[in-house]
Amino acid sequence: MNILVCVKQVPDTNEIKIDPVTNTLVRDGVPSIVNPFDGYALEAAARIRDDVPDTKIVVLSMGPQQAENALRECLAIAADKAYLVTDRAFGGSDTLATSYILSKSIAKVEELEGAKFDAVFCGKQAIDGDTAQVGPEIAEHLGYPQVTYALEVKPAADGLHVYREAEDGKEVIGVQLPCLVTFTKPSFDPRFPTIKRKMAARKAQIAQLTAAELTNIDLAHAGLKGSPTRVKRTYVPPRKEAGVVVKEETTEASAQKLYELLNKAHVI
Amino acid sequence: MENYNPITQEILTELEKAAPGHVITGADVNPDYSRDEMPIYGTRMPDVTIDVQSTEEVAAVMKICYEHNIPVTTRGAGTGLVGGCTPVCGGVVLCTMRMNKILSYDLENFAVTVQSGVLLQQLAEDALKHGCMYPPDPGEKMATLGGNVATNAGGMRAVKYGATRDYVRAMTVVLPTGEITHFGGTVSKTSSGYSLINLLIGSEGTLGIITELTLKLIPAPQATISLMAPFEDLAVCISVVPKFFMKHFRPQALEFFEKEILISSEEYLGKQVFPRKIDGTDVGAYLLVTFDGESMDELNSIVESASEMLLEEGALDVLVADTAPKLKDIWATRSSFLEGIEEQTKLLDECDVVVPVNKIAPYVEYVNEIKQNYDFEVKYFGHAGDGNLHIYTCSTEMEEAEFKKQVDQFLSTLYQKTIELGGQISGEHGIGYGKVHFLENALGPVNMDLMRGIKKAFDPKLILNPGKVCMSLMKK
Amino acid sequence: METKTKDLWVLLETNEDGTAKNVGIELLNPGRRLANKQGGKLISVVIGCHTDAAVQEASTHGADQVIVVDSEEFKRYTTDAYTAALAHVLEKYAPTSMLIGATPNGRDLGPRLSCRLGTGLTADCTALDIDEASGNIEWTRPAFGGNLMAVILCPDHRPQLGTVRPGVFKKPDICEDRAEVIRENFHVPTNQIRTTLLETIREAAGEIVDLEGADIIVSGGRGVGGVEGFKVIRELADVLGATVGASRAAVDEGWITHSHQVGQTGKTVGPKLYIACGISGAIQHLAGMSSSDVIVAINKDFDAPIFGIADYGFVGNLFDIVPALTAEIKKAKA
Repeated sequence: MNILVCVKQVPDTNEIKIDPVTNTLVRDGVPSIVNPFDGYALEAAARIRDDVPDTKIVVLSMGPQQAENALRECLAIAADKAYLVTDRAFGGSDTLATSYILSKSIAKVEELEGAKFDAVFCGKQAIDGDTAQVGPEIAEHLGYPQVTYALEVKPAADGLHVYREAEDGKEVIGVQLPCLVTFTKPSFDPRFPTIKRKMAARKAQIAQLTAAELTNIDLAHAGLKGSPTRVKRTYVPPRKEAGVVVKEETTEASAQKLYELLNKAHVI
Repeated sequence: MENYNPITQEILTELEKAAPGHVITGADVNPDYSRDEMPIYGTRMPDVTIDVQSTEEVAAVMKICYEHNIPVTTRGAGTGLVGGCTPVCGGVVLCTMRMNKILSYDLENFAVTVQSGVLLQQLAEDALKHGCMYPPDPGEKMATLGGNVATNAGGMRAVKYGATRDYVRAMTVVLPTGEITHFGGTVSKTSSGYSLINLLIGSEGTLGIITELTLKLIPAPQATISLMAPFEDLAVCISVVPKFFMKHFRPQALEFFEKEILISSEEYLGKQVFPRKIDGTDVGAYLLVTFDGESMDELNSIVESASEMLLEEGALDVLVADTAPKLKDIWATRSSFLEGIEEQTKLLDECDVVVPVNKIAPYVEYVNEIKQNYDFEVKYFGHAGDGNLHIYTCSTEMEEAEFKKQVDQFLSTLYQKTIELGGQISGEHGIGYGKVHFLENALGPVNMDLMRGIKKAFDPKLILNPGKVCMSLMKK
Repeated sequence: METKTKDLWVLLETNEDGTAKNVGIELLNPGRRLANKQGGKLISVVIGCHTDAAVQEASTHGADQVIVVDSEEFKRYTTDAYTAALAHVLEKYAPTSMLIGATPNGRDLGPRLSCRLGTGLTADCTALDIDEASGNIEWTRPAFGGNLMAVILCPDHRPQLGTVRPGVFKKPDICEDRAEVIRENFHVPTNQIRTTLLETIREAAGEIVDLEGADIIVSGGRGVGGVEGFKVIRELADVLGATVGASRAAVDEGWITHSHQVGQTGKTVGPKLYIACGISGAIQHLAGMSSSDVIVAINKDFDAPIFGIADYGFVGNLFDIVPALTAEIKKAKA
C-alpha cells in the first residue's frame, strides 16, 4: 500500500501562556511539536505496514522552513520519505486555500514518486487552528470518500475497514480506495523512534516544493486571495469574575454550606 | 517488656500545653498512623498523635516524653516499606507533614533549606523553577525529605548522582532528651570531629528527630534522553550493565525489568507503552537508560555510541524517548511497578538487596532458581546501575501465617547469598521493624554491639522509635 | 454562489427513527435572531427518513419553513449522501447563511460541503452576531486550545457556513406548529455512496457516557491521584444523578477512559452544574466547560486557575470535602 500522511508542526498549546500586561499570546519559548492527531495518523499507517510489509509511507507538511523538524521526527518514527511545501505565496491561507494547496501537492508528489496513493491519512484537527476542516476539504478536492474520527484502520479486500468513534460506541466503516481518513486519539500511543531511524532521519534529504515546483497550483486559490474566510480580529478571552470561597471551621460544615449555596442556586 | 509508661491525663495535659491544638487522642486518631506501606510487618495504634509544626514544639514534646518515659515515633508521609514508622510500643506519634515549608534558597552555594515535612516532589518541582535539580529521585515522590534522609533513600538517579547522603549539608535535630542541636554546614568537605550528621542519615528515626534540612542542589541539566533496549533474555540484558561503566558512559539512570512486572504495571495504568515484540521476537526483559547533559547535540553522540554498544551486546533494538510526553510515559510506567504489583496481590512482602554491579546476573539466576521452592510468586526489578534489586513476594491465595513463614525462609536464604556475594541486605528501604532479625544475622554481634552503643549514647532511655534497626523488642 | 434569499438555514440532523437531534433545535435559537437581522426567514433543513417527528419539532420551535429531504438512503448519515443532498438544496435555494450542529457528523459534513460550494466555513463557534454595516455574520470561535478567540468573516462568498457545538445555545421556547413544509424529491443512488456501515459496537449501557446531555457533571483531574481516587468522584456523581467527567490529565494518566474527557480535545459541555475536583483549570479544560451555568471548584491549591471561573470554590483536600458533600446530600435527600 502507498499511504500519504499530512502533518502539521504546531506550538504545544499546553505550554502557551498569556502575557498579563499586553493580554496577548506569548509564543516565544513555546516548543514546536508534531500535531498530536497527525501523530496518531502516522501510527495508523505504521500499523498497516506492520501487517503489510511492502507499505510505503510518505509524509507531507505545508509550513515554514522549521517545519522540517517535524518531518524529521516523522521519519524517525515511521515515515519513509518527507516533503515540505513552503512558499511565501501560500501564507495567510485559510482552510479552503490550505486544503487546495495540499491536494495539488499530493498530486505533484504522486507524479514525483511515480505512484498513486491508496490512502491519505490526516489528524482530525490541528491543536492550534482546531477547525478539523482541512482533512475533509482535501478529500473533496481530490474527490475521495472520507471517514473521520477514526481510531484504527485495517486493510481489507475491498479497501479499508475503519474503526471510528460514534456517539454511543464504535462503528466499523468499509471504505473503497483511494480514500482519506482523519484520526482521533486511539487507545494506544504512537511508537517510539528507533536509534537507527533517528540517525537516518537526521541525515535525510527533505524535498521542498515551492510555487515554482507546484505548477499545478492556480495562485488565485492560494494565500489570502484564495481564502473565503478572514480573521476580523482576535482577543484573549476575559477571565470570569471570581466567585465565593467556602471555608468553614470543619469539613462537614463546609460541605453543609456548599450544599446550601447550591440548593439556593437551584442546581441541586 | 520495655520500661515505658502509659500516657496519663496529666501527661496529656502537659503535651497539650506544649503543642496546643495539635494533639489528637482516642477515637480521633487516624488509623493510617498505625502503619506504613507494609502492614504485613504489623500495625499498632498510637495512643496520641501530634501534628507538630515547629522545632520548638518537637523539643517541648520530647522533653515531656523523656521525663515520663513515653515512647515516641516520628512519621512523615507514611510511605516507608519496612515498618519504620509503626509505633510498635504505642505512645506518641509525631507527624511532620505540617512542617512543609521550603524556607530559603542559597543559590550561590547551591543549597536549599527546608522543613523536614516537605515532600520530595514539592522540592523537585520548586528547585526546577530556580534552575536547579535536587538529584536524589527515590521512587516514592510523595515521601517527606525527612523520611528520605532517615532512610538514606536512593532512587533511579543514584547511579550517576549518588544517594541522599551525598546531598545533606546540614540538619536541625531534636534529640530524645528534648535538646535541639545542629549538625553540618554549607561546606563542601570537613574533617571536624566525628561525623554526627552521617550517623543521623539512614538512622531511620532512632537517634533523633530531624526538623530542618539544608540540602545540596546542582544546576539542572538542560537536556534528557532515555533509551529503551528490549532483550529476548534477562541474563543477556543484565550482563550489559557493567559494560556501561567500563566504557565510561555515565547514565543518569539504568534500570532493568522483566516482562511480567511490566505487564502488571501497564495493566494497572491501562496503557501499553513498551513494545512486547520486536520483529517477531518476544521481549523477555528491558533495559531503560537515561542520559542527561547540557544540550541535545551533546547527548546525540553519547546516545549513538551507547546504542551501538547495546545492539552489539544483544539488544533487539534501541528505542529513543527524547520528547517530554514520551519520557513521561516510560518513566510513569516504571514508577508504577509497585502499584501494579499491589493492585494484583493480597499478601505482599519485599526486600531490596544491593550487590556489586557485576554480581547482579548470578544473583538473579539464584533468585530464579530458589523461587521454585515456594508457593508465592516472585516479581522483581532493579536499579541495575547500582546493583540494587527490589524483590517482591506476592500471593492472593496463601494463608497469611503460612505466607509469612515461607517468605521469612526465602528472605533468609536470599540475604545469606547477598552477603556471600559481597552485598548488603538493604540498598535504600532500610531495616525498620521488619528486617531487624535479618540485620543481626547479616552484621554479626561485633558491629551490632557498636550500633547499639551509639543508639544508647543518643537515646539513653531508648524511647525514640523503639524496636527498630538494631534494637529488637525485648522478648516477654 | 449568488444568493437568492436573505434566509438563514439550520440543518436539523435526525436519528435513525426520524426524530430530531437536539443541536438542530438549539440552533433555531440564534438562527431566529440572525434571520431577523438578515431580513429573511428562518428555515430548517431536515434530512433523514420518516422524519415527520423532526419536521414537527422544527416547526414548533420557530422555523418559518422546513425543507425536507426524506428517503431511505438518508436514514443513516453518510458523507456522500448528505453532502450531495445539502449541496443540491443550497444551490437551488441559495440562502445567505447556514448553521450546522458540530456533532461528529456535522464536523464531517461541514467542511466537505463548504469545499464543494467553494465557500467559507467557520467551525465550533461559540458566539454569532451580525455586523450591522456589512450584514455579514461575525463568527466567534476559540483557537490555540482555547487560549485565543477569533472573530471570523466570510465577506465575499455565499452561503456563509458555520458549525456550533451542542449545548452552546438553549432550545427556543415552544410555539405554534405553523411552518410551511417543502418536500424536496432528491435521491442519491447507492453506488454513489462510497462508505458502508459494517458493524456497530455499542458500549455496554452502563458505559455510555452522556456528558453533552448531562444536567450535572462531577469531574476529576490530576488531584484525584489515581484510579482508586475516582471512587469518591463516582459516589458524589451517583448521589446527584450526575455524569462523571475528567480532565485530560486524568485521562492521559490512564485513570479513566477518554469517553469521560471534557475539554478542547474531549467533549464540550454546558450543564447546569459542573463540579471540578482536583482540576487546576488549564485553558483547554476551561474551553470545554466554561459555559456551564454554575461551576464549583475543589482544589488544594488556592492559586489554581479554576478558581478564576468558579462560582463557588473550596480550597482543600478533595478527599475530605467530596465525601462530606456526598454525605450532606444523602442526608438532605433522606
